[in-house]
Amino acid sequence: MTVMAALVDVTLRGLLGRRRFLLLVLLAGLPVLIALLIRVSGGRPDADRVLDTLVVRTVMPIVALVIGTAAIGSEIEDGTAVFLMVKPIARWKIALAKAVVAAGLTVALVVPAIVLTGLLLGTRADPTTSIVGFSVAGLVGGSAYAIAFMTLSVFTSRALLLGLAYTLIWEGVLAGLLEGTRFLSVRQATLGVAAALGVNVREPLAPAVSVGVLTIVLVGAFLLATWRLARFEIRGGD
Amino acid sequence: MYRRVGLVPERETVHGYLTGREFARLNARLQGVPDADAAAARAIATVDLTEAADRPIGTYSKGMRQRAKLAGALVHDPTILLLDEPFNGLDPRQRLHMMALLRTMAAEGRTILFSSHILEEVERLADSVLVVYAGRLAAAGDFRSIRRLMTDRPHTFTVSSSDDRRLAAALMADPSVFGAELVGGRVAIRTADYGGFTRALPRIARATGVTLFEVAPTDDSLESVFSYLVRR
Repeated sequence: MTVMAALVDVTLRGLLGRRRFLLLVLLAGLPVLIALLIRVSGGRPDADRVLDTLVVRTVMPIVALVIGTAAIGSEIEDGTAVFLMVKPIARWKIALAKAVVAAGLTVALVVPAIVLTGLLLGTRADPTTSIVGFSVAGLVGGSAYAIAFMTLSVFTSRALLLGLAYTLIWEGVLAGLLEGTRFLSVRQATLGVAAALGVNVREPLAPAVSVGVLTIVLVGAFLLATWRLARFEIRGGD
Repeated sequence: MYRRVGLVPERETVHGYLTGREFARLNARLQGVPDADAAAARAIATVDLTEAADRPIGTYSKGMRQRAKLAGALVHDPTILLLDEPFNGLDPRQRLHMMALLRTMAAEGRTILFSSHILEEVERLADSVLVVYAGRLAAAGDFRSIRRLMTDRPHTFTVSSSDDRRLAAALMADPSVFGAELVGGRVAIRTADYGGFTRALPRIARATGVTLFEVAPTDDSLESVFSYLVRR
């Protein structure tokens, strides 16, 4: 257990102790700021719409991408991962610690943003449905994104670029054009979960499908990361 | 296996935001050492980093970073220590310190395997060398014995004596010697038979009545052994 704590510790310190994280906090605060502006200017938009476009489609994937790829990818990149790899630690423990931290931090940024934005924009008599629906969706969706991107960064040093391409091109453009890609989209699954909890979403995936997709992503990404870490080669310098 | 091995990688990157002590402690915790704090303090003291232990590694010099990495590799008291280019980037003083450190640890009974491309360091430090050339193991063992085994390569000596010319003439008569030359006030001798020559030299000197002042093998360094090996 101490090993797990040490792993979580060093990952957290690596992520929190840098300017990068401050920028992420600002990014997560963006929807809240916009909601505040809307509120002050007297506009009354649909809270569900704003949470959907701003948080689920934009802020959540970006936050998860940056945190997920930094959790282990940057350690592999700068060579400090070697210090983890030469220890008598099962690889699944390393993958689990990194996954927990990446998902945890993403959720810790995204869910408060959802709650605050929802509270500020609550037009309906009871904004709870929106807030709860999106919060739960953000919890599972944000975790799935973070872990998927973490795994990506174990496989390639271009994870940040590929992740961005995935969210922008695959999920952003193709999902609207090709019906089939909706099933391979974390975003659609996240919105499906929100819809299942009563949030108003356009053309949501069925609840069972959404949960299935997210489960496959979470478990699959973790297993893949473990598998890849077990094949990690320790190399000398150039 | 990782419990018995300590590794000091070549790359200089360490978690720069950790202090030396935290880095050692992290390694101890990851190794599952029961008392991580004590283990870290011990390792820090071993590498002589106690004074700077509570500063972030980012502020360390190269030599201190190397020592911090070494401390991290020592926390679990490994019997085998692997170091990749431990002398890279160290200034001469730090280099001597690192050598002394490695010698001490070898004297404590640890097996130390380190890589280096500065052969003079290897020669001064290592009991036994592995020469790797183009990814292949070219030779292994004590480098002087390796040299001796290379009988197709003449050994060279320089000898200074009371009468170099007479000595050179007498040596040329011996079958172990196939070249003797007067160079800069000394006799440079080439021989294929290391043992035979070293036994013959004093005998010949006495027979000719020449006093030997100095006998020095000139190519008996790891550098020359290495260059012979890779040229083959």
